[in-house]
Amino acid sequence: MSNLNVKATAQNTYDAIVVGSGISGGWAAKELTEKGLKVLLLERGRNIEHIKDYTTAMKKPWEFEHRGKLTEAQKETHPVQKRDYPYTEFNESFWVNDEECPYTEVKRFDWYRGFHVGGKSLMWGRQSYRFSDLNFEDNLKDGHGVDWPIRYKDIAPWYDYVEKFAGISGKAENWPALPDGQFLPPMEMNCVEKEVKKRIEAKWNKSRIMTIGRTANLTVEHGGRGKCQYRNLCSRGCPFGAYFSTQSSTLPAAVATGNLTLRPFSLVNSIIYDKETQKAKGVVVIDSETMETTEYFAKIVFVNGSTLGTTFVLLNSTSDEHPNGLGNGSGQLGHNLMDHHFRAGANGRIEGFEDKYTYGKRANGIYIPRYQNMGGDKRDYLRGFGYQGGGSRGNWHADVAELAFGGDFKDQMTVPGSWNMGLGGFGESLPYFENKVFIDKSKKDKWGQPVLAIDCEFKDNERKMRVDMMNDAAEMLEASGAKDITTFDNGSAPGMAIHEMGTARMGHDPKTSVLNKWNQMHEVKNVFVTDGSCMGSAACQNPSLTYMALTARACDFAVSELKKGNL
Amino acid sequence: MNRREAVRNVAFLMGGALSATTIGVFLEGCNSPTTKAKGSLFTEDQQKLITEVADIIIPTTSSPGAKAAGVGPFITMMIKDCYPDEAQQAFVKGLEDLEKQAKDEYKKSFLELTVAQRQELLGKLRDATVAATKVEKEKLEELDKQKTDPEKAKSQTENTGTISILPKDKPKMEPRFFSIIRDLTLLGYFTSEVGATQAYAFVEIPGRYDGCVDLKPGQKVWS
Repeated sequence: MSNLNVKATAQNTYDAIVVGSGISGGWAAKELTEKGLKVLLLERGRNIEHIKDYTTAMKKPWEFEHRGKLTEAQKETHPVQKRDYPYTEFNESFWVNDEECPYTEVKRFDWYRGFHVGGKSLMWGRQSYRFSDLNFEDNLKDGHGVDWPIRYKDIAPWYDYVEKFAGISGKAENWPALPDGQFLPPMEMNCVEKEVKKRIEAKWNKSRIMTIGRTANLTVEHGGRGKCQYRNLCSRGCPFGAYFSTQSSTLPAAVATGNLTLRPFSLVNSIIYDKETQKAKGVVVIDSETMETTEYFAKIVFVNGSTLGTTFVLLNSTSDEHPNGLGNGSGQLGHNLMDHHFRAGANGRIEGFEDKYTYGKRANGIYIPRYQNMGGDKRDYLRGFGYQGGGSRGNWHADVAELAFGGDFKDQMTVPGSWNMGLGGFGESLPYFENKVFIDKSKKDKWGQPVLAIDCEFKDNERKMRVDMMNDAAEMLEASGAKDITTFDNGSAPGMAIHEMGTARMGHDPKTSVLNKWNQMHEVKNVFVTDGSCMGSAACQNPSLTYMALTARACDFAVSELKKGNL
Repeated sequence: MNRREAVRNVAFLMGGALSATTIGVFLEGCNSPTTKAKGSLFTEDQQKLITEVADIIIPTTSSPGAKAAGVGPFITMMIKDCYPDEAQQAFVKGLEDLEKQAKDEYKKSFLELTVAQRQELLGKLRDATVAATKVEKEKLEELDKQKTDPEKAKSQTENTGTISILPKDKPKMEPRFFSIIRDLTLLGYFTSEVGATQAYAFVEIPGRYDGCVDLKPGQKVWS
């Protein structure tokens, strides 16, 4: 019998286990396999094969029965996913059934999830911005959160590294608070955006800039992947492989090494701690189809299950030595939850370009990087926000009567209308200890596990910032000559920006942080966490590029430590 | 990216002004339960009526109209699949009222009216809907003002300085037949093969982006 066990254990043993196959998990699998490790990549959901399984990608508008809209039945099984725009008929199968994976909202928190190979890398917004030292130093300067254990110089070469592989299009601006990267050619601004850019930069003498969005969409062929076809249907999966996803990019690279074992339907329930070695020895996996439980073993474990997924696994990994969750001696695990707050800004009508139009659908907009609380700019709140937005020409005509109908109305609807320019802020939220998640044993998910409770809210700093997010946008539109400017604040619930982060933060001190500067657990040296949970602050930039860079950096460190015999 | 645009684009697509019911159904995801497994919601005549009303809203001009684009059956299906009970009932009642009004005013079924008579009848219905919606909105605004009046708020809550930044629940507005059928006609028509390719200009794979082209005479909106 013991022989059989030894054999089974050997069969289930790898050099490394990666938990989760989304943006950061895909990178971990690629880096570790390319460095020669035998890697088991565990994914809780089904497999989605590149191109073949993007079942809606080539459908025409009229081939969707409900033309993209949700049915009452879908709303009933997706009470959370339906709260905002991402969940539609166009990519319905990429989003979780909320009934199968409940969670407790102590306060409202919109948790958007996709359980499948590739995770949210299939549906992500693709905006890719570097953090700068302005961001890495804010915690130290104003005392919120703990000091980041890294600075820009530590991560800069890794930004270079991941950008070169992923393919990020954008324009170098030489703007210190938003460092330039290894860019593919930028997408073009339309004529209205060019005019707005010119006027904003002139008015503020380049203390504010506007650049084309830096996006993980290929503007030229890159690494064997096709270039963007300007359909703006990215979130259905791209049959041209023209945006970065696990499927288009990191997974094929990992598979090519011959060192990867991908196991879908493998829900990691917990990490097994070995008190003899004081290290993790493997993971407990629930087969999410058969409910069968299996243990897998490895020398190192990378946890990349998305911020809150990862945090659940760690909190759920208890032992005598780690009674409050793995590596949680600091008591910080599950705390300091952040998300960006957004949906506040302004719109205006731009005159003078009635004889111009666009061709193609650009899945990208413009970006105005943070300019508040830097240089000479001082506000009555900490940190700041950037803007995303764009100019567009639809069929809006000011002179259409309310509820108009008939032939004249129809014909007018088919003629290009006025140009609109919109700016929407994405604001930083501070890391508050009391914004937290914890395990709620009063409920169970479909797989018999307890659930996560989320207790998170935006506070005064964010609230004050939102006033400026509206007013500054209006001011810039006014400077651009816009007419009929209206400001908006549609409210923002934590989770809505799908940039949740911070619940297993990095830091210098094991007493106040979960991970060290290499994304390595202070207390369990062979466990690495490189998804959004590692973040010490949120900045206001879209964070995925930073997860990629931190992951590649941590993999490099982990393998070198492994080779030195330190793990 | 383009999160706000996603909502705006729907608004553009629908000709600017979405009815509150449709916003509730498509953009907010209202929670009202629906009764499943019901038989046919509409009589055969009502299905014809829906098709004819849609064809008055979007008639044939230089491009074919709603009837040719199959918008009638689309509306019937959407009402059944995507609208809560309350809106379904309001919609059925709206059809009944329209038929009754045709009989009262012209002593004929709507289906027997001339195009001009149909236009006249729907014009009146439109005006009544605009007026009723305006009254309802004003009432809601008044109510909202009372709620957010700092003087009054003080007595109701201790946290006057910390108004929540959570998205507000949109006030529930009465579902109105004309608004719904207009919304669904526009949606169904401009996303149909006829509407998307003949009334609008459809390019399946543009292949490139040009941010500043000269608007050619007769250029249609991209679908």
